[in-house]
Amino acid sequence: MERPASVGTLVADRFRVTRVGNGVYRVEDDGRSELVYVAGSANDQWVFVDGRVFRGDLGDVRDRPRRSARVDGPQALTAPMPATVIKVLVQPGAAVKKGDTIVLLEAMKMELPIRAPADATVKAVHCRDGELVQPDTTLVELE
Amino acid sequence: MIKRLLIANRGEIALRIVRACRELGLESVAVYSEADARAPHVAAADRAIAIGPAPAVDSYLSIPRLIAAARESRADAVHPGYGFLSENAGFARACDEAGLVFVGPPAEVIATMGSKIAARTLMQAAGVPVVPGETPDDQTDEGLRRTIERVGLPVLVKASAGGGGKGMRRVRDAAEIMDATRAARREAAAAFGDGTLYVERLVEQPRHIEVQVFGDCHGRIDHVFERECSVQRRHQKIVEESPSPALSPAVRARITSAAVTAAGAAGYRNAGTIEFLLDGVGDAARFYFLEMNTRLQVEHPVTEAVSGIDLVRAQLLVASGEPLPWTPQSLTQRGHAIEARVYAEDPAHDFLPQAGRLLLYREPRRPGIRIDAGVVEGGDIPVYYDPMMAKVIAAAETREAAIARLASALREFPILGIRTNIPFLLRILEHPRFRAGTVDTGFLDGEGAVLAEEPDDTPTAAMRAAVAAFRGDLGSETSSFESQTPNPKSRLQTTADPWSALRAWGR
Repeated sequence: MERPASVGTLVADRFRVTRVGNGVYRVEDDGRSELVYVAGSANDQWVFVDGRVFRGDLGDVRDRPRRSARVDGPQALTAPMPATVIKVLVQPGAAVKKGDTIVLLEAMKMELPIRAPADATVKAVHCRDGELVQPDTTLVELE
Repeated sequence: MIKRLLIANRGEIALRIVRACRELGLESVAVYSEADARAPHVAAADRAIAIGPAPAVDSYLSIPRLIAAARESRADAVHPGYGFLSENAGFARACDEAGLVFVGPPAEVIATMGSKIAARTLMQAAGVPVVPGETPDDQTDEGLRRTIERVGLPVLVKASAGGGGKGMRRVRDAAEIMDATRAARREAAAAFGDGTLYVERLVEQPRHIEVQVFGDCHGRIDHVFERECSVQRRHQKIVEESPSPALSPAVRARITSAAVTAAGAAGYRNAGTIEFLLDGVGDAARFYFLEMNTRLQVEHPVTEAVSGIDLVRAQLLVASGEPLPWTPQSLTQRGHAIEARVYAEDPAHDFLPQAGRLLLYREPRRPGIRIDAGVVEGGDIPVYYDPMMAKVIAAAETREAAIARLASALREFPILGIRTNIPFLLRILEHPRFRAGTVDTGFLDGEGAVLAEEPDDTPTAAMRAAVAAFRGDLGSETSSFESQTPNPKSRLQTTADPWSALRAWGR
């Protein structure tokens, strides 16, 4: 795999970048050019090219730590937005696998499954069917 | 003629209606919840009235607050848009009682067509085909067998008492009848305490075809051709087009004429849509009445694109008592139009609705592309409402050209700050079955479900190069969208010496 540091050299050697508008850059590579749209901050960017979107820190040249297959220590699953709990699908003590649906929410007329980020055990359940939850409310604790 | 119209809606449809008012010289009144005080539809209207807190039930769904807003603004008519209260007979009645013209059909028509059973009975009586089905009086095994044979295989045997797939069995072969009916009866009894079964013809790989109808108060009802909306995810339409690639001219003539009959039987006025299930393709295809939508549809622009008619303008004229503003002979279906709905959602994560600020939002401009949107750059997508942000409609001479035009426009529609379904839409448009025009309503929930997966999110070297320049520019600007005019100093630096930013980034 290519090291991120070498991408920097590659960039400097190959591309001409011209700012053509607010958040719009023309990137020329050996005579071929494409428009790249960028927004965000110094360490969190959104980038659009030709119908594709990338979000992340593209200036971050360090290798990202790999996510462990199992939850390290207690972890709370929270509601991402105001929502109604349709169904809690686990009970305390249950073993869950990465990707299992833990709680089914409904928000903005859509069903919204909250899934296990990794293999874990359910430590506690803090919501019940039919309950209205606010953003960042802890729904379930895993460990 | 209506003089001042209250628009009981928000987002792109409220803006669409404001524009029609401008063209007709009517005054428009927007309503808004606390979450929408800075929304584009509020800025666009001639007047705006705050109607309550952010949750729709306290604002856009509150009949008393909307009627009070109409009184306060001295409006003489109300347009409900789609969604919210548009198919609520109580709202239409409340408008009547308040002396307001409701831009839509009479309240009793909304009530009748809103009841599946009443609508089905009415359509059968009018000779409009419905999906064959019945609840046999004789519920024994033998009685069910006779009913299944009369309805014709394949059939769906299901609990008469409820839905949700419980007590539901598909029967494709006569040999399966006995086992399937017994299993369905057991499940129905266990789930609903009632083992009564309903037998319905199973339409395999159905397509969703709908016909735009329009009635005035002088007794005339016309159709404005069909739209096909088979690209659906969990019954949510995503891509719609006209004409349908599945209809032969003979079937088109029959289905549009059935739609006019259906609207006539309902005593319909104003714009409405008759939805059908289509079974098969070509001249042998059969169609069945599904339901009637007693309002303007989200996908009305594809009909406008192929017919040249302004449906919202016509709604306002007809509601004012004028005849339909066209002659039946002048109606034509020209070329092909396709609409894609742009949602604030993340297809790669179970279509999680997205809320937040639009850091960058630039609509493509090009011939044959129309964009109806309810958002602007720098604006917020609130969490309280439907996540549809915009509709992109492409019109061209042929279906192939319209697909290419739509895909090309979506590839040049940058939206940053929240995830959208644009990459997913592009994968649908590129799929061989969509290209061939053979998608049925089960496609996106079955074979097409893989299209939701994000195939590759590795940033390209060109993306990294642009980000390096962007990070260099950040030093001289507060943020990318707050400064609407390019900073001359920053432009000078990047254009004159594009490497300065890169060097700063490289270290």
